Amino acid sequence: MRTTLGGAALALVLTAGAAPAFAQSGEITVWSWNVAASALEATVEGFNAEHPDVKVTVQDLGNDQVFDRTLAGCAAGGGGLPDVLSIENHEAEIFWAQFPDCFTNLKELGYTEEIASGFPEFKRVELEVGDAAYAMPWDSGPVVMFYRRDFYEKAGVKPEDIKTWDDFTEAGKKIAEANPGVVMTRADFNGDAEWFRMIANEQGCGYFSNDASSITINQPACVAALDAVKKMYDAGIITAADWNEKIQANTAGTAASQMYGGWYEGTIRNNSPDLAGKWGIYRMPSVTADGPRAANLGGSSLAIPTVSKNKKAAWAFVNYTLGTNEGQVTMLREFGLVPSLLSALDDPYMQEPQPYWGGQKVWVDILETLDEIEPSRGTPFFGDADGIMIAVQTRYLTGEFASAQEALDDAANQIALVTGLPIAE
Amino acid sequence: MRMRTRAAYGFLTPYLLIFAAFWVWPIVYSFYLSFLATRIQPWRFNPGMTWGRLVVDPAFANALKNTLIILVIQVPVMIALATLLAVLLNSQLLRARGIMRFAFFAPVVVGEAAYAAVFRLMFNADFGVVNKLITGIGLPRVDWFASPTAAMALIIMAVTWRWVGYNAIIILSGLQAIPNDVYEAATLDRVSKPRQFFFITLPLLKPIILFCVVLSVIGTMQLFAEPFLITNRGGPGGATETLGLFLYRQGFTVLNFGYASAVAYTIAALAIFISLVNLWIGRSPK
Amino acid sequence: MRSKSVSTLRRSIALHAVMVPLAIVWLFPIWMMVVFSTMPENAIFSPNIHLIPSDRFWANFNVLQGDTNFLRAIFISVVVALVYTVLSVMLTSMAGWALARYAFIGKGMVLTIILGTLTLPYFVVVIPQFIMVARDFGLANTWFALIVPPLFNSLGVLFMRQSFSMMPADLFDAARVEGVREWRIFLFVAMPLARPTLAALSIILFLASWNNYLWPLLINNRPDMMTAPVALGSLIGLTKVSWGGIMVGAVLLTAPMIAVFILLQRHFIAGIAAGAVK
Repeated sequence: MRTTLGGAALALVLTAGAAPAFAQSGEITVWSWNVAASALEATVEGFNAEHPDVKVTVQDLGNDQVFDRTLAGCAAGGGGLPDVLSIENHEAEIFWAQFPDCFTNLKELGYTEEIASGFPEFKRVELEVGDAAYAMPWDSGPVVMFYRRDFYEKAGVKPEDIKTWDDFTEAGKKIAEANPGVVMTRADFNGDAEWFRMIANEQGCGYFSNDASSITINQPACVAALDAVKKMYDAGIITAADWNEKIQANTAGTAASQMYGGWYEGTIRNNSPDLAGKWGIYRMPSVTADGPRAANLGGSSLAIPTVSKNKKAAWAFVNYTLGTNEGQVTMLREFGLVPSLLSALDDPYMQEPQPYWGGQKVWVDILETLDEIEPSRGTPFFGDADGIMIAVQTRYLTGEFASAQEALDDAANQIALVTGLPIAE
Repeated sequence: MRMRTRAAYGFLTPYLLIFAAFWVWPIVYSFYLSFLATRIQPWRFNPGMTWGRLVVDPAFANALKNTLIILVIQVPVMIALATLLAVLLNSQLLRARGIMRFAFFAPVVVGEAAYAAVFRLMFNADFGVVNKLITGIGLPRVDWFASPTAAMALIIMAVTWRWVGYNAIIILSGLQAIPNDVYEAATLDRVSKPRQFFFITLPLLKPIILFCVVLSVIGTMQLFAEPFLITNRGGPGGATETLGLFLYRQGFTVLNFGYASAVAYTIAALAIFISLVNLWIGRSPK
Repeated sequence: MRSKSVSTLRRSIALHAVMVPLAIVWLFPIWMMVVFSTMPENAIFSPNIHLIPSDRFWANFNVLQGDTNFLRAIFISVVVALVYTVLSVMLTSMAGWALARYAFIGKGMVLTIILGTLTLPYFVVVIPQFIMVARDFGLANTWFALIVPPLFNSLGVLFMRQSFSMMPADLFDAARVEGVREWRIFLFVAMPLARPTLAALSIILFLASWNNYLWPLLINNRPDMMTAPVALGSLIGLTKVSWGGIMVGAVLLTAPMIAVFILLQRHFIAGIAAGAVK
């Protein structure tokens, strides 16, 4: 068995990108969400050109559901899991900590060090435990500000002048004034803390230290981030909206900007085709005028559960979709997913001006932030910490704490209670 | 006689097997689980990680607080409304009785997922029909899912909408069991209608109303689908997180079975305690 | 006499002044469900108020069907609810019969345990049930998992026991004297007499199973084994799915139960009220 596997791995390495030496067949099922699911679907055609006998079914279950169902499936000893699973990087470690037996070590299927080294280190750290690699990096989420050119212009606001969050707030007030019914931007204050996470990451802070050994949520950089969110909230330039409501606001033309990972490019483009030419992007503002202006939000990976009955076909699909430029660039073109695969970043497509974005070379602008992003580790306790932070954020925004420091000290204590980790000095 | 005993066991056994396997045993097993630290394999005995944490966990305290708020506001309002509806639906003067009954009883058959979806749309802050109506009559719009108070009010309204008819049915059946001559005698004695209600109807209905209260308390203690689906997992920021939802989150999103079991037992103990207090308040004065 | 009818009129007006607006408020969400299900997406999210159904029901249905195979989910829900109802009525009638009509060792204990645990919230058992069925038996995503564990419900036992114990004893004794076997007495004498109770119980159990959300949500994580409420719940929070489609699902989930309610109102109300009559 070992030799066959080794042989298969060798064959894959030798033939990566070219026609396969042996044909896979059968059916595989993939769980994913939203645009990510659509992106995977878009690569099936190219995959089937090489593996015509594998029938790939991508099921879009929504982000929360994939996570919940995967956990439940692993808790049930793998029952009901599909052949390929989408896992968000920052949520990934809970799986390897609780259910190492639930996932296939991809190295046994042909995920060699050579292939793995095609991905940046910070994408791999959450997916590998010791010698085992449980998932393959997929995309990353370099954060930028998406904005409506027409609304900004009408208010006389130039995006290049927005360097700090205070500038952003002032611009937001002007834009709301000039465009009745339009709000500067939206954040999911009800069920997420994505704005806090993005600005905290920009400032070099996260829930946990990068060696996952201590809690860093009440460090000064995180305090500055929460402070910035609160100021914008108080100024009325951010109102609450969840994922769906943000999209509704985009199509209805009641939001002037949205901040998200680069993958939101595809969401805007696909959900609001009528608004072609009206959207643009610029770099996220910072706390200080010369402060860092890059962050990461989201980014996922693909894993193969041990219960999969067709691991070879599953691996062939994962390796095509994530491990080849062709697969990665297809997902970028169609749905705006930013490749983790370093070689895909050199694809000529990245240099092209994008008609939807008014001719802006958005990928050049998005990808140039990649090198400046500080890594941020999810740890097995991300779910606990995030739940606590969301609750603390709501309490802080509604005036329950005297200061951001006090709010985050409270959050840090709660996280310490739940995880048993120490709070960093 | 022995034949008949054997027959009795024969009739009873199939149900008892199921009952033992899927109800009695889990209750016992859950108690055992509540002493285990289950976050890392293998599970080991460590009540400090479950019961110990429960005592100091602010997130649990928050869920408990939210549940008690719903309990204290929603249950009395709903039971009072249900009693009023039952009395009014029972009135001889009421026209279009069939439609009236249908209006209040129909929500009972509407599934949680279905009505949650409708409420989400109706209360959408920007495009929801409720905000359109509110602003239409000149009131300020309400951010139903973003304001903690409004979200809580929304959950209370939703639960009341769904369950008031259910309780009204039960109270109505009790009302119809009160013999008519009681009222006839009172009317002859020139006792006014409102006085009849407070001094005859209510005391006679007391056991049934208490029964409704106990049912509602148990229901509230395990309220789950509404905050899960309507306010998007207890949002904003845990402001509508109930004990039921907290248990779901501990059990099935951060996968802490031991802690979740301790939470489950606390929910059960609270439900029993509050029910007993109710029964004690409602005991017959002797 | 005149003054009496004037006061009656005044009372009647007051009564309707309370009831009519309340009834409208209570019917409003159900009405809006129907309206939403017939509207195109851009009309649901538009600044105007739409209170009258449009004509997009089929279009919305096709979207829904394309997104989740809702018909399959409905099919699963129907089968589960039917089989569950039949099994539960059988099991609990038999148990209720035994507890109502026989004296045997352990009867007191069985009754005490059933009554004593009746008020425990279901949440106490949901985690161990999940561990047992999903992990230990490995039965996640099966019909068994959907149907069998919820059969523990003891409401029917008490309900049937009460119904059986109110029947005259002579009836059964006469049959026994003629040498009729116990199970035949149960099946052909007692059960037909309990028909109204059985009807009420069946409706309540069917409704409970049809609308059950938490257990099917937990135990079946495969999209092709989702019941209709779970399938519908899973759509809330997706991006691609139209709200019009979700509302079609809500209507499909609700309409059959409304029909049952209207057609069998008497049994239905009896079933709910019976919980209180002890």
